[in-house]
Amino acid sequence: MHWLMNLFTQLRLFFPPDHSWSFIWAERVPLLETVEIAAGAMVFSLSVGLVLALIIGARLPGSRLLYAALVSVRAIPDLTMAILFVMLVGIGPGAGMLAIAVYYGAAMGKVCGDLFVSADPGPVESLASTGTGSFTVAFYGLLPLRLKDLLTYGAYDFECAMRASVIVGAVGAGGIGTEIVGTINNYDYSHTTTLILMLVALIAVFDLCALAVRKYPRLLLLFVIGGIISAWECRPQMFAWSHTLDNLRKMWPPVIPRERIGDLPRLLGETLEIAFGGTALAVLFALPLGAMGARNLAPAWMHFPVRRLFEFLRAIPEVVWGLLLVTMAGIGPASGALALGLHSTGVFGKLYAESIENVQPEPVMALAATGGPRIAIASFGLLPLAFPPMAIHTLFRFEWNIRAATIVGMIGAGGIGGALYNAQQLFFYDQMLAYLLITWALVMLADWANGQLRKRWKVTEGLI
Amino acid sequence: MTRRHAVYLFVALSLASLTMRAGDKPLVVGMIPDAGATQVSIQEKEPLKNYLSQHLGGPVNLIIPTNYNATVEALGNGSLDFAYLGGLTYVKARKQYGVIPLVQRTSDMEFHSLFITGNPQIKTLADLKGKMFAFGDINSTSGHLMPYLELKQAGIDVEKDFKYRYSGSHPATAKAVESGAVDAGSIDESVYNAMIAEGKLDKTKVHVFYTSKPFLDYVWVARKDVSKADQEKFAKAFTDLQEGKDEQILGILRGKKFVQASDDRYETLRKVAEELKMF
Repeated sequence: MHWLMNLFTQLRLFFPPDHSWSFIWAERVPLLETVEIAAGAMVFSLSVGLVLALIIGARLPGSRLLYAALVSVRAIPDLTMAILFVMLVGIGPGAGMLAIAVYYGAAMGKVCGDLFVSADPGPVESLASTGTGSFTVAFYGLLPLRLKDLLTYGAYDFECAMRASVIVGAVGAGGIGTEIVGTINNYDYSHTTTLILMLVALIAVFDLCALAVRKYPRLLLLFVIGGIISAWECRPQMFAWSHTLDNLRKMWPPVIPRERIGDLPRLLGETLEIAFGGTALAVLFALPLGAMGARNLAPAWMHFPVRRLFEFLRAIPEVVWGLLLVTMAGIGPASGALALGLHSTGVFGKLYAESIENVQPEPVMALAATGGPRIAIASFGLLPLAFPPMAIHTLFRFEWNIRAATIVGMIGAGGIGGALYNAQQLFFYDQMLAYLLITWALVMLADWANGQLRKRWKVTEGLI
Repeated sequence: MTRRHAVYLFVALSLASLTMRAGDKPLVVGMIPDAGATQVSIQEKEPLKNYLSQHLGGPVNLIIPTNYNATVEALGNGSLDFAYLGGLTYVKARKQYGVIPLVQRTSDMEFHSLFITGNPQIKTLADLKGKMFAFGDINSTSGHLMPYLELKQAGIDVEKDFKYRYSGSHPATAKAVESGAVDAGSIDESVYNAMIAEGKLDKTKVHVFYTSKPFLDYVWVARKDVSKADQEKFAKAFTDLQEGKDEQILGILRGKKFVQASDDRYETLRKVAEELKMF
């Protein structure tokens, strides 16, 4: 409980936030940089990802291999990806943009590929019978079918990229992330609070824009233009190919020194503890909160503030929660689990609330007609019906949290991520690769297990 | 957008970025984030930047990467021309990228690491057993390497006898001790003394309970491809600094006088780093 005490004694250092205009004005530069990193990366990942998805959707030769490659890339933690790009193009937003572009390009390719593969085959077949090339068939046959889903997923991805652009800042890839890390490291908490509030506001504005795009898809054009300008602003100032190749060579062969091998079970255990603990905590918090945030269950004075709480928790990336908790409450898996728990509560809360809202009304109304109390109607009518989608969301998140557990591990929560980061920092790149491969295997395993469970429960990949 | 268009776009962007670099390139100076890495800490160093650009006769960019490793890698990939490194980061950068040592403070030749605490019961290194401890950055000489050595010599097994974390920088260690987040920590003496003098640290909450044996620390280096003329101009800018005349710059650099640095002096440090498996 030592760390919990520490947490509370330190919390007061965050207030009041520094709201002087001179500080906020000075921070406009990194804030803008964050937007540019995210927007620039999205242009790359959307265009490349969409092409890759179409190749997969059209089942062109090599598309299975491509799919496997995309899944693999997605299993590399984005923080590690950013470190590699900092080596290649130097410190600055260019590295952050490229890291996110690659990561989300792969994510976009995989998820949209899945969408295309599951699309109605009718129109594609009739187009193909005219004898045009298979890529053209995919372009005109598949794209229009899935346009709406693509927009939804694209908007979701954009929001994720925004948060990711904060994450990559932690390793020197520019933007507000670098500033948040810097102020936390300096125990300059009144500035940290200001920066976090700026970030939350930014993501809220972003959510509104995403909503607008979903309503008026033509607005997307504006985003593409903005994205291209941003990509230009963040363009890498150099490409140090030989330097990067040299470093890649230093990574091979991967090795773990003999005296460290005995540590592996403990490290793996810690990473799993962070992921399990974080997910379990979030479920615990989000079950009551999700019900309180459902518009068909809770009155407005309740669901409105609860929904804002979810947005706040969600807007702050796991890494930032992790940095805060590690600095305030101390290192160790407990801080990591709480960090994932807080962020995931925001995610689950929203999803659970929506699952409850989307329940078919008839059975519930039937129950209500018996005149039972509201709480009984909710617990016997609404919740059982909302349960299956909630379980699916939870599973997806657990897979994500395994990846996130290695990332918060890097910034002090321990586990495999911690070992990976320390090896990288000390220039032991061969050890870094060994830990990276272990992380990668872990994430792939979680991905596979998740797929098996989904198959057994006969659920197709939904959009979350 | 089809794939072909995407490829065209990419090629056009890369070509454009190449042509953009043809102009008069500023010299880029980097500093390890031993005293923090934010907009604010860069602004505080504005006078140093102006002083250097006067002496080098051209524009200078000052960058503080988020960690020590990134600073060394930036010397390797050419994004920094000059850099301020710690002893351990120097020997690593020397081995990997052949950086050239230029100047260092007289105080760097006989540098100390301080063990600080807020807990009156901690009086010797042995009292640290079972406590929470903070090192600086994992690559810090005065924040990690040398304190690690002192602890080892005092019979403390860092991995078993206490819990520790890397705070990332010296001010962070000081603040972690002051706030009680950790029981004790190891810190660079010049950062500690400056923080006490500027009132950034509460004297009633933190005190030094052990001072390390002297060792060689920080040094300013040049990337190996920087021209001899620029190297000399850069070194002269530092050796010209005089106490009483350039107080503001010397204050930022936390030093009194700069002298030529040389690689042979780092032999002992190299051996220690190897022995402790940090090199």
